[in-house]
Amino acid sequence: MSNTTEQLLRQATISTFENLAFLCLEDDNAVSADEPPVDAVVAVDFHGPMRGRLVLRTSSNLLPVIASNMMGEDEAQRMPMQRDALGEIANVVCGNLMPMLVGAEAVFRLDAPHWGTETTDVRSSDTPVSSVRFDVEGGRAQAELYVFAGRDWLDAARLAHATA
Amino acid sequence: MAFNVLIVDDSAVMRAMIGRTLKLSGLPIASILEAPNGEVGLRIIHDEWVDLVLLDVNMPVMNGEEMLRHLRADERTRDLAVIIVSTEGSGTRLAALQELGAAIVHKPFPPETLRDTILRVTGVTDVEYYGTTAATSDHLDF
Repeated sequence: MSNTTEQLLRQATISTFENLAFLCLEDDNAVSADEPPVDAVVAVDFHGPMRGRLVLRTSSNLLPVIASNMMGEDEAQRMPMQRDALGEIANVVCGNLMPMLVGAEAVFRLDAPHWGTETTDVRSSDTPVSSVRFDVEGGRAQAELYVFAGRDWLDAARLAHATA
Repeated sequence: MAFNVLIVDDSAVMRAMIGRTLKLSGLPIASILEAPNGEVGLRIIHDEWVDLVLLDVNMPVMNGEEMLRHLRADERTRDLAVIIVSTEGSGTRLAALQELGAAIVHKPFPPETLRDTILRVTGVTDVEYYGTTAATSDHLDF
């Protein structure tokens, strides 16, 4: 899709990881066979002028790091809290991305983050309109934006950015 | 004076994170209460003394805007300090919340932003807490 969408997705993802989880992301443009898998997956569905899904994938070895940075060591020991921590990051990325894409007047409703197979099974044939990859703390992170309805809003936003 | 703070957010992670931020902020916190939605939050406020509410917007059962309207409609809680802590990006909705007297902290937030906003809405200055060698935002140790 457009570079603008990718830039905004990158910006929202980096800002959220830095401020919520105190982790610095670095662009990961090279794919190699020995890189850690992005095997932890969480998604947030959004409803508004556009309808779609923000999918966040990370290496599972990052989960305790993210949770610990967000909540402290004690809370971070429990796997449900580790998953919820990643879900909260996805929620914040999505919540910040929507007004960046279509403007601050639009109102979106975000569903609660959902985890794992229920995310990857549904609409697996769809192609994300934008995807960004990062290296982070010995693992990887990847954010993908899917738009199922209202893609004309993205086109309008891209046009507005181009003529601004 | 030490604050009794109520955190209303449907995410247990965010409640824990905000609570941790409060404890590390150096603010005098007497107690931290938690609620997963506005309805439970109103019950807690009815039963406990609360000085400050940190309130999410998008929640099940009763969202933050509904809870805030209940608070402002009740003479006992009309002036209660409320800070919205949310990803909400709609200018229309944020303006409505500010008209109801809430301050806004946008997620994701640096810890010092939350601390500075609390100091502002409670009317308490750094000097009152830290003396004349007050800590500044640049010196917070998170």
